[in-house]
Amino acid sequence: MAARRILITGIGSHTGTELAARLERDPRVEHVAGLDTRPPQAALERTEVIDADIRNPVIAKLIPQVRADTIVHNQIVRRPGAMSATAAHDINVIGTLQLLAAAEKSDSVKAIVIRGSAGIYGAEPNAPQFFEEEMARLFPMRTRFQRDVSEIENYFQTYSRRHPTVTCTMLRYQPAIGPGLKTQVTDYLSLPLAPTYLGFDPRIQLIDEDDALDALIAAIHKPVRGAVNVAAPGTVGLTRMVRMAGRITMPIPAPVFPTVTQAAKRGGVLDISPDFRRLLRFGRAVDIGRLVDDVGFTPKRTTAEAVAHYVRTTGGRRLTPSVRGRVAGAAS
Amino acid sequence: MTQRTDSTTSSRAGGAPPPGGGNAPPRTSALPPFGLALAFLRALRESLDAGSGLPEALVAAGASLPRDLRHSLERAAARLGGDYDEDEWGFDEEFAEAAYPLLELLYDRWFRVQATGVSNVPAHGRAMLAANHAGILPWDATMMSVALLREHPLPRYPRFLVLDWAFALPYVSVLMRKVGGVVASPYNAARLLEQDELVAVFPEGVKGTGKPFKERYRLQRFGRGGFVEIALRARAPIVPVAVVGSEEMYPMIGESRLLARALGAPFFPLTPTFPWLGPLGAVPLPSKWRIEFCEPIETAEYGPEAADDRALVFELSERVRETIQQKLYDNLVKRGSAFV
Repeated sequence: MAARRILITGIGSHTGTELAARLERDPRVEHVAGLDTRPPQAALERTEVIDADIRNPVIAKLIPQVRADTIVHNQIVRRPGAMSATAAHDINVIGTLQLLAAAEKSDSVKAIVIRGSAGIYGAEPNAPQFFEEEMARLFPMRTRFQRDVSEIENYFQTYSRRHPTVTCTMLRYQPAIGPGLKTQVTDYLSLPLAPTYLGFDPRIQLIDEDDALDALIAAIHKPVRGAVNVAAPGTVGLTRMVRMAGRITMPIPAPVFPTVTQAAKRGGVLDISPDFRRLLRFGRAVDIGRLVDDVGFTPKRTTAEAVAHYVRTTGGRRLTPSVRGRVAGAAS
Repeated sequence: MTQRTDSTTSSRAGGAPPPGGGNAPPRTSALPPFGLALAFLRALRESLDAGSGLPEALVAAGASLPRDLRHSLERAAARLGGDYDEDEWGFDEEFAEAAYPLLELLYDRWFRVQATGVSNVPAHGRAMLAANHAGILPWDATMMSVALLREHPLPRYPRFLVLDWAFALPYVSVLMRKVGGVVASPYNAARLLEQDELVAVFPEGVKGTGKPFKERYRLQRFGRGGFVEIALRARAPIVPVAVVGSEEMYPMIGESRLLARALGAPFFPLTPTFPWLGPLGAVPLPSKWRIEFCEPIETAEYGPEAADDRALVFELSERVRETIQQKLYDNLVKRGSAFV
C-alpha cells in the first residue's frame, strides 16, 4: 500500500495517543485522524482530532470525510471504573456498531483493525493451557465484558463476511503491563497486599506495553483476516508475579473472595472486575503462533521480562533486595 | 560438605555426652545442630538489632550456617523475591526437585517400587506413556516419574495429563501444575508432543480411578482412542506402562453419589480410611508396587494422516490395552502378596 490514511478511535486513551504519535513519525503514513470526546493525552503534531462520540450516528457522516484506508478501533472499555456498566456496554457494543456502519459508508476503507480482548476466552480451570484463535467459544460466557467482546466479534465477523474486500483483523489482547499504563494489572501490583485465591496460583500471561503498541502497528501494516492473539511468550505464576513486584500475597478463601473485594471496592482501595477476578483464580494463556507467523511480529519481552521491566522502571520495592549480594558480602 | 562431616565426627569423638545420657548438661559446641541453631539465632538478633528488615537479617544470619544449608536458605529467600523459573506450562523444576527426596522416600520405603524396562522409554524427543490408572490421588503418575528419574540413564521429567476437575481445587491445582501436571485436553497433549516432551496419559480416565475394589486390575474402556490419534498425528511412539500396586493403596469399598454431586466431583470415594479419618484418610496404604515399561509401539511409519483412520486407531488402542492388561497379570504374579 502506498501512502496511508489512518483513523484511530479512542485517541484520548493512553494507547490511542501513543499510537497516533508513532504513526505521525512513520513516513509510510500520510494522514492520521483521531476520534474521541476526550482530548489526546499528549500534544500531537499532524493528527486531525475529531471531537465526536462514537455512540452517536453522526460519525457516519464524519468518518467518510477522513477518506481513511485503515480504521483502528481502539475504543473498547476494559474496566468500567467510574463509568457505569451500562455506559461501558454502550461504548463497546453500540460504539462498534456505529463505527462499522460508518465504515460501510466510506468507500476508501481497505482494512479495519480492532484492538479487542482475549477476555473472550474467559478463565476456566479446564481450559486448554493455550487458547488458539478458533477456541473462542468453548465455554459459556460468564461475565458482562466477555459477552460484550463476544458481541463485538459477532458484528465484526458479519461485517467481514459482507465486505470481502475489507481486511478485518480482530486482535485479541491479553492484559498489558508497563510503566506508562494504568490498568487493572498495574493497580493490582501496586497494592501492598495483593489479594489471591487461597490455594490457587494461576498462570498469568500479559504483554508489555511497547510490544502491545508494536503489534498493533505491525497489524496496521500487514492486516490479516480474522482473529489474532496478542500476548507475550510464556506465562508467569500469579504468586511469582506478585513477589517480583515486591508485594505480599493475601490469600482469601474462594467463597468469600467476591465479598472481600466488593468491600474493598466500596472503600475505594481497589477495583477488581469480575473478569479479572476469574483471571486471578484460573488464569489464562493464549497461543501466539498466528501473530508470529501471519502478522510477522514477535514480542520482544516475555511475560516475566515484561513484569520485571515494569517493576524495574516503576521502582517497585522488593521484599528481599539482592539476596545473593548480601550473602556474599556477609560471608566474606 | 566434607569439612562439616569431619567436624561432626571429631566433636563426637571429643567426648560428647552419649544420647539420652542423663545428668550431663548438653554442651552446645558438642552438638552441631544446636550449636548451629544458636549461632544462627545470635547472628539473626544482631542483624535485627542493627536495624535491618527480617528477610535481610535472615540472609545475613545465614552466613553462619554451613554451605548447603545456607544455599537452601538463600534459595528460599530468593523465591520469596519471585526469583524462580516456571516454564509456560507452569512447571517449576526447582519445586519438583525439592519435593523429590520426599517422593523418593515413598518410592523406596512406603511402596517399595520395583521398576523394569525403564530403558524402553526414549531418552530424547517426543514420546507418550500410556498407563493404567487407579487410586484416588495420582500417586501412580508420581511414582512413574520417580522411576524414570532414578532408573533411566538419561532422566527427564514426564508431563502428565491430569483430569481437569483437579484444576478447580485449591492447592491440588497448584501442586499438580508445579510438578508437571497439565489439564487433560487433546490440545495440550498435542502441543506438549510438538515441544518434544515426554507425555504420560491415562486412557482409562476417571473410569479407572473410580472403579470399585473388586474390579481391580481390570482395565476399563480406553475412551475413544483419542490418545492414539494424538500420538499418530505427532508421530510419537507409545510406551505402554503397567502399574501394579496402585489399586490397593485406596481400596474403594463404596462411593457416595450425593456427596459427589454436592462437591461437583466426578465421584466421591469411600475407603476404609476416607473420609472417616479426615485428612489422614489421604495417606495411602503401603501396598507393594511394580512398574513395567513395555516395548514402545512406533507410530511414525503410519504418517500423520493415519490419525483419521478409525480402524487403525482402534487397533492400536486395543494393542496398547492388551499389552498393559497382559503385563498387569504378569506383574501381579511376580509381586505376590499385596502388602508384605
